[in-house]
Amino acid sequence: MSEMMLVVEIAGRRAGVPALVVNSVIELDSVTPVPRAAPHIAGLGALRSRPLTVIDCRTALGAPPCENAAARRAVVVEHGGHLYGLLVDAADDIVVTLADPEPIGSDPGAGWSRVASSKIETETGPLLLLDLAALIAGPDCSLAA
Amino acid sequence: MDDLLTEFVAETREMLAALASEVVAWEADPDDRVRLDTIFRFVHTVKGNCGFFDFPRLEALSHAAEDALADVRAGRRTADRALVNAVLAVLDRIGVMIGEIERGEPQSDGDDERLISALAGELDEGELPIPSTAHAAATPAEQRTIRLPVELIDQVMSGVSEMVLARNDLDRRILAMGGDTGLEAPFARLSALIAEVRDAITRTRMRRIEGLFSTFPRLVRDLSAELGKQVFVELENGEVELDREMIELVRDPLVHIIRNAVDHGIEAPADRRAAGKREAGMLTVSARQTGNTIHIGIMDDGRGIDCERLAAKAIAAGLRSEAEIAALNRQELIALVFEPGLTTAETVTAISGRGVGMDVVRANIEKFGGQLEIESTPGEGSRFLISVPLTLSILPSLTVAVAGQTFAIPRSYVEEIVSTSGSEVEFAQVGERRYMTFRDRRLPCVSLGQSLGIERSDAARSLFVMLRLGWGDLYALAVDEIFDHDELVIKPLSPAIMQSGLFVGSTQLDDGTPVLVLDVAAIGYGAGIPRELHRPAIAANAAAPVEREGLRVVLLRALDGEQRAVAMKAVEQVERVSATAVRHPGPEAQVVLGEDILPLAGIPEGTELPEWLTVLRLSDGEERIAYAAREVLDIVVLPATLSRIQGQAGIAGVTLVDGEVAELVDCHALFARHARPASARTLTCKLADDDGWMHNFLGPIIEAAGYQIVGGDAQADIAFVDAASADGSPGDARKEICLSDQPSGGGPGHAIYRYDRAALMAALLRVGEELAA
Repeated sequence: MSEMMLVVEIAGRRAGVPALVVNSVIELDSVTPVPRAAPHIAGLGALRSRPLTVIDCRTALGAPPCENAAARRAVVVEHGGHLYGLLVDAADDIVVTLADPEPIGSDPGAGWSRVASSKIETETGPLLLLDLAALIAGPDCSLAA
Repeated sequence: MDDLLTEFVAETREMLAALASEVVAWEADPDDRVRLDTIFRFVHTVKGNCGFFDFPRLEALSHAAEDALADVRAGRRTADRALVNAVLAVLDRIGVMIGEIERGEPQSDGDDERLISALAGELDEGELPIPSTAHAAATPAEQRTIRLPVELIDQVMSGVSEMVLARNDLDRRILAMGGDTGLEAPFARLSALIAEVRDAITRTRMRRIEGLFSTFPRLVRDLSAELGKQVFVELENGEVELDREMIELVRDPLVHIIRNAVDHGIEAPADRRAAGKREAGMLTVSARQTGNTIHIGIMDDGRGIDCERLAAKAIAAGLRSEAEIAALNRQELIALVFEPGLTTAETVTAISGRGVGMDVVRANIEKFGGQLEIESTPGEGSRFLISVPLTLSILPSLTVAVAGQTFAIPRSYVEEIVSTSGSEVEFAQVGERRYMTFRDRRLPCVSLGQSLGIERSDAARSLFVMLRLGWGDLYALAVDEIFDHDELVIKPLSPAIMQSGLFVGSTQLDDGTPVLVLDVAAIGYGAGIPRELHRPAIAANAAAPVEREGLRVVLLRALDGEQRAVAMKAVEQVERVSATAVRHPGPEAQVVLGEDILPLAGIPEGTELPEWLTVLRLSDGEERIAYAAREVLDIVVLPATLSRIQGQAGIAGVTLVDGEVAELVDCHALFARHARPASARTLTCKLADDDGWMHNFLGPIIEAAGYQIVGGDAQADIAFVDAASADGSPGDARKEICLSDQPSGGGPGHAIYRYDRAALMAALLRVGEELAA
């Protein structure tokens, strides 16, 4: 069972997002802050005319925010009928999976265990598979949105 | 109604066109069940619609066809040639009639009897009307509408939105290139075209809610007549546009709530009087748009929801235990109406209470993503708020900024923008709450920056947006800057952002910057502004039984060219008079009307009189005044509330009639200025019958002073008698003034010299005061 995986880098770690759910990868130029939103909601952006809820993946993982503020690369995914832009450090590689997802096994670390429920073997080694719902829900909610 | 009719015609035509092939196939094979069902459905639909529109002939025809086809479907009859022919003839005739309806022609009085009896199988084959295609050919199916799947329109709409953004991007780039690029003209043309397409595509899905609202006054009238109640309906903001699918979806819930309000909410006239309310109940149906939500409010000033009875019923029905009920607050008690099978109605009436409860209504609203909220104050009324989403909406908005960030406010909430840099506004601080006094109202102020948590200090702001919420609650929202009115395309927000409850959607400015649309109701109530029913309290109702259904007025074109309105009740008569009948044109003008000379108002100083003018004879029941006009335009009903203007004498208020300003003439001021004092009016004087001097010399000056001369045996207040002939008794008059032809001192002690005018007037006044006392 081979599938395409977009490899993203968050806080120095690599993870995979199934290429099928990725709408596009864009450079966000303007993000409007949203008052009284959860900390991991970086704001509101736009993919052409559609609103984009921008998720800061570092904050969602509980990692310190990226120091390089210019890095505004976002992976656009659709979830529950809405578009989300996942701010990542890098997203420039697509790999082919070699097997079905499997349990992670050993604990990948606090933030990661919440946003990734399985890992997958690819041609370049194992990748954590990001759970979009958990990522979007953020660290404060245990329930997926 | 026109819209509905157009739709009916279009729909029927469309079905007829689709049926054409079915009919032919059915004729070939009358046993074809599927075709039979299709035709049956068509006549059934037509019949249903006709009942709604009152086309009795069409209805009778489709009804007969439906009956015949129902028999065939039920196997009671076989579809023989005669029946098929008759049905075909009916279809043709329906086509002809639809054509007539479409062209607005009166329905021709065709003879349908033969057709109907043919359908019933009562005619021999020979007598059958021959179906012909001539009719169908004669009335070409003018296909003026098409039906499209909504998804397709959505797709086009979103494509157009993208085009707008691409255009804006292009615009920026052209500007950046500077100078003359030669692209300006084609670009301007492109922009105009995109705007046009965008407008058109937006309109395709939207329809004014007015069409739905306009059926309510009739509904309420019928219901209240049936129940022996009096209910006025006030419709507000019918121009709010709603997705046409959504209009259909909210129709039933709205009708249900209105039925309930009239039946259970509004009391019988006697009960209302006893409660100190005016006899006629008031039902307000209003619509407002926020983001992609339309709020429809239904308010009545009836008895409110009886929570105790509701609680008792809930306990009796075993839905709640007494302990559970005791723990509920009023709002939670009200929510009990949503429990299945619970109603406070004592009796099941024909109008409501037929087992379809509020639970079903709410479920139906929620089914399409809406919400139903109820608020109720015992004795004062209830309000129902239906909020329904608008999947696709262009929102007229006001863009504002606070702490450097731009937000949009739906314009339907915006009452007014106030800058307090002028001095007309006063502030009051009550605890942490600031109030501003504006136009005699004290409004709570809410700082947008603080509500959003993007600003800590409460900087003294001078810019406020007055917001009126769905219930009529008003507050002032302090902002840093106000930019512009914009027509913005609202997009839904993701749940992650909606969580805060402060926003209803997002939109993009022309440069593509995302902007959040504020939920001003949540912000206001979140900041603790009071929820009030906006109608005056009961006591105020009793004190001022003002008819709120609006004032019926005569609309006229005044001599100075202004459009004015005079209360219909004050107008006694309207006449045309020649300018020669007007004396002393100007503020003191008089006019001769038949046998009367009346003060004539409405002639400003220096007005050139037309040769003929229209004069309205106004009366306050006793006194009469004439009002000059160029012409009478119309009789209309003014809205219940008028804008007051100050400083203009003689004008009670202004309003708009057909887009033109109309000034309501202040009848009170008019009569106060022109009418004679009331105290003198009531007094009558009697002159000695045979005294020529009194009648010829005294009579006119007494009348001019405002007294009325009576003769003969009539009862008078004051009698004038000649001292020489006086017998010392006042006769049948209550008071007597004695006149003497001798200068002072010459006559009897109490007599007045008859040419001493001052003494005469003084005596009249004195006597008048004695009488009044």
